Amino acid sequence: MSTAPRPEPGRDGVAVRLRDATIGYGDVPIVCGADLTVRHGEAVAVLGSNGSGKTTLARGLLGLATVLDGAVEVLGAPVGRLRERDRVGYVPQRHTVSGAVPATVREVVSVGRLPRLGLVRRLGRADRAAVAEAVAAVGLADRISDPVASLSGGQQRRVLVARALAAQPDLLIMDEPTAGVDAASQEALAGVLAGVSAAGTTLLVVTHESGPLAGVLTRAVVVDHGRIDYDGPLAEAGPPGGDCHHPAEDAPTGYRVDQLRVTTDGGL
Amino acid sequence: MELLEYGFMQRALLASLMVGLVAPAVGVFLVQRRLSLLGDGLGHVALTGVAVGVLTATAPVGTALVAAVLGAVLIELIRARGRTSGDVALAVLFYGGIAGGVVLLSLAPEGRATNLDAYLFGAITTTSTADVAVFAVIAAVVVTVVWLLGQRLYAVSDDEEYARAVGLPVLPLNVVLAALVASTVVLSMRVVGLLLISALMILPSAVAQLLGRSFRQTLLLACGIGLVVSVSGTSASYYAGTPSGGTIVLLAIAVFLVVSATVAARETTARRRHRRRVEVHAAHPHEHGAGCGHPAVPHGDHVDYDHDGHLHAPHRTGAGVHYDEHGAHAGQGGRP
Repeated sequence: MSTAPRPEPGRDGVAVRLRDATIGYGDVPIVCGADLTVRHGEAVAVLGSNGSGKTTLARGLLGLATVLDGAVEVLGAPVGRLRERDRVGYVPQRHTVSGAVPATVREVVSVGRLPRLGLVRRLGRADRAAVAEAVAAVGLADRISDPVASLSGGQQRRVLVARALAAQPDLLIMDEPTAGVDAASQEALAGVLAGVSAAGTTLLVVTHESGPLAGVLTRAVVVDHGRIDYDGPLAEAGPPGGDCHHPAEDAPTGYRVDQLRVTTDGGL
Repeated sequence: MELLEYGFMQRALLASLMVGLVAPAVGVFLVQRRLSLLGDGLGHVALTGVAVGVLTATAPVGTALVAAVLGAVLIELIRARGRTSGDVALAVLFYGGIAGGVVLLSLAPEGRATNLDAYLFGAITTTSTADVAVFAVIAAVVVTVVWLLGQRLYAVSDDEEYARAVGLPVLPLNVVLAALVASTVVLSMRVVGLLLISALMILPSAVAQLLGRSFRQTLLLACGIGLVVSVSGTSASYYAGTPSGGTIVLLAIAVFLVVSATVAARETTARRRHRRRVEVHAAHPHEHGAGCGHPAVPHGDHVDYDHDGHLHAPHRTGAGVHYDEHGAHAGQGGRP
């Protein structure tokens, strides 16, 4: 996105800070004693196997899971009292966008602008431009007036990415954006995220396979059994959870980056 | 027109016009939220309100409105607490509302008991001028709120979790929607009756869903369909001597059946024609894309994939993607 991120993203340039945080649902803890600091502009992969707690960690940052103990700060404020929630972008783990009533790509993506508009203000020219720009960024400009139900699964996931991009967030949290998406869409997504990251947006991507986005994400946080197991460069992160093998993560880093560069242009 | 000569029919047609326009405008959001039966539940609660009005000798429309709005707010608060599922909360509302109404009405002193049927099934010809005025105010409020907040109501109805994560005021918007439903229930109670209210909210949306491409289009179409069936149902009931509520709902169902049959027939024809024109490569083992091993070949407005010398053109349908044969690579394959 061409729009520059707003200055002063959070106190001390910290986008996300967890201090001995316990996060869960109701009174059941899922993530325990997590310490994590993500500085503004970082691109972090949250890795882990199914049921490891990686999604709960992300949902804690979004206010969708409960902080049971410790502190969770997002953009400089405790997550429960975060006023500027419109600066957070979110791509949920959802396989389709289409609801019961038809809606066009433009209508779904426009929702991304609403949090910035207060209680009753309607979309203005700048908002419509941001929507068009976000839809173009995910390569669906020619489908903007089509019903989302007419799009393929991979394209529908890209609509959800566009909805988050339209908000022009300072912090973008994505839950399994590459799961169940064909190779072409994964490459397209990697290209989009590279652009967003270069513009200064902080990325936090929950995934069980960092392979497709390895060229964009630089830091890995591995969650296992509700605890942060590893925090460091993505290239050195072991297979998440230790119970399943990820061939993509064993490949030499240079190879993956080159492959992504070559294919990103053609993917959009 | 003969039916316009009578004052009671003028009022009846005005009331049905407002109901036909407003009920689907609210119903579309309920369909999107998969809470189609909320209108039914609030209709039952409104009956308790009617009973309170009869007991205290105040206008039943006012007390019904208060009861329905209170019920609506209550159910949203229960849902937001998350301890009781929306389903169970609705059930409590349903049966509590109707039981309360029946018991309270039975306590009404002799001579003040009202015709229960008029509220359950509608009695449009008894609409007074004062009723029409109250209905007009309710209709104006509902239309204005939907016009102002429509996009936000859509956002919350479509993906509540996303709305919460990005800071949209989810609970207030849900309460607003529930209050709109409650107002619409009271507005429609005289025309279609409390038991049939959901039909006029949901059926026009069900028809519009089959035809619309965008949410906005679907919403406007639903309002148009609601208006037409409501006014023509009321007129038909005058000539046929049938109850207005039942007539309107039967008409709406007829429209729904005709439209869904037409749409289904059109889709079948299109599919058959498509199959006849091109050989469809249906069961393809993978989805073509960059890096699938098959070279991409630009072909007019789309990209084909060279599959062992013949071209595959992706064709996306509701069921997924299949590949149309677009001729041999060297030759000039025609696009259907």
